[in-house]
Amino acid sequence: MALLLVGYLWICRERPDRHQRWFFIGGWALLWASTDWPLGTLGAGYLATAHMTQYVLYTMAAAPLLMLGIPEWTLRRGLSRLRAYRAVRILARPLVAGLIFNVVLLVTHAPITVDALRTSQLGSFALDVTWLASALLLWLPVCGPLDELKPSYPVRCVYLFLAAGLVPMVPGGFLTFASTPLYSVYELAPRIGGFDALDDQQAAGAIMKIGNLPLLWAVLGGMFVRWANQERGPSPTPNVLGKKTPS
Amino acid sequence: MSTSSDETTSPGEAPPPTPPPAPGDRIKLVAALIGLVGAALFVLAAVAVRAEGNDSSGSQTGDSETWDGTAIAPALARPDFTLTDTSGRPYDFAAETRGKLTVLFFGYTNCPDVCPPHMAILDSALDTPGMPKATVVFVTTDPDRDTPERLRSWLDNFNADFVGLTGTPEQIAQAERAAHVAGSMVIPAENGDSDDYTVGHAAQMITYTPDDLAHVVYPFGVRREDWTHDLPQLLERWGDAP
Repeated sequence: MALLLVGYLWICRERPDRHQRWFFIGGWALLWASTDWPLGTLGAGYLATAHMTQYVLYTMAAAPLLMLGIPEWTLRRGLSRLRAYRAVRILARPLVAGLIFNVVLLVTHAPITVDALRTSQLGSFALDVTWLASALLLWLPVCGPLDELKPSYPVRCVYLFLAAGLVPMVPGGFLTFASTPLYSVYELAPRIGGFDALDDQQAAGAIMKIGNLPLLWAVLGGMFVRWANQERGPSPTPNVLGKKTPS
Repeated sequence: MSTSSDETTSPGEAPPPTPPPAPGDRIKLVAALIGLVGAALFVLAAVAVRAEGNDSSGSQTGDSETWDGTAIAPALARPDFTLTDTSGRPYDFAAETRGKLTVLFFGYTNCPDVCPPHMAILDSALDTPGMPKATVVFVTTDPDRDTPERLRSWLDNFNADFVGLTGTPEQIAQAERAAHVAGSMVIPAENGDSDDYTVGHAAQMITYTPDDLAHVVYPFGVRREDWTHDLPQLLERWGDAP
């Protein structure tokens, strides 16, 4: 985590941007808070609610802040050095990014995956990295630094609503309405504060279903306002023929 | 248009051109999407197979039934021992539980990992609608720290109907032998603190059916769905008193 922050500050020393720096530091701080004790420890083997809170913080808070904190020139330079621009351009298409994000969501919350990976530090780390990578991809067409990867505002609104709002409600519903605990790693863990394993799982399902909604609707609202402003356009100016055209 | 132009981009320069995806990229994209959907289907199939396995696999007793617990053969007789319950009265295990579906477990209230989830899972399973009524008896393997009051208070966290038993170390060892479980032993703390020890104990729950025999035991790791699968079947198979 320290290397991530130091690396960012070192790379961005050439052309510092205060706002971007604070966005990145905010995202980094949320990433740390979600990964370290107590949330990280509880999520790694005790409470499904902590696991899900971690997921929501990673994907709905830390990832967009990190994305807003990446300067355009840094990303362009990095992608050219890695010769990855073309691949990222394909992956950042709303359909592809949304599909990847939701496949990752389904796969990493399947009981077989959670039970297999959460029992080891390396497995937990792999889950965390996968979540973060898929979330960065999710947010790239929404608030990424490369304008050419961003679709129009209405497309972005629909994309975000479907990919990050609607689809996650399905697995969230499974967790909320399951009659037995689905994750053995959390069912067999010592209980924290007398929190029953099934109640814990139902709370986790509720977090998955609605935990992302406040931020999601705020972003959708913001994009809608920008879209409205864009549609209204600047005040028209008369041209040489006397007809009014947008400047 | 070429990628090499990207490599020479320096800070402040205009964004690189955005080449349209080549046909090869489209093929890769389709392959990647198929791979992703395949991965999702694989996981769903694995979950389905696992769920199916939970229903159909398990140990067998030689009859047609399968169990999520561990079947034992020959079956163990209901043990005969007398300890003291949390209200201070003698509790004759064989006499009090004869002919009843009974779950017997040896553990201790300071147990850091096995006892609390094992008891919580059993309690949640017994709370499931349609489950048979069972007498749950918890025998402490740490009589020094598990006073009757502490034992009662700890069991009440799960279910006020659970029976807690204690006794002298010799009486408890005799009960363990009668139940055919490994004897418990004190493991001193690494820091040398005499009050901070742990106790090694048998981790299986033994289930006696109304025929006064234990045909299946439940080691640590059994889940709520295992209990809800097995308990009605146990009663159906061995529900008649001897």
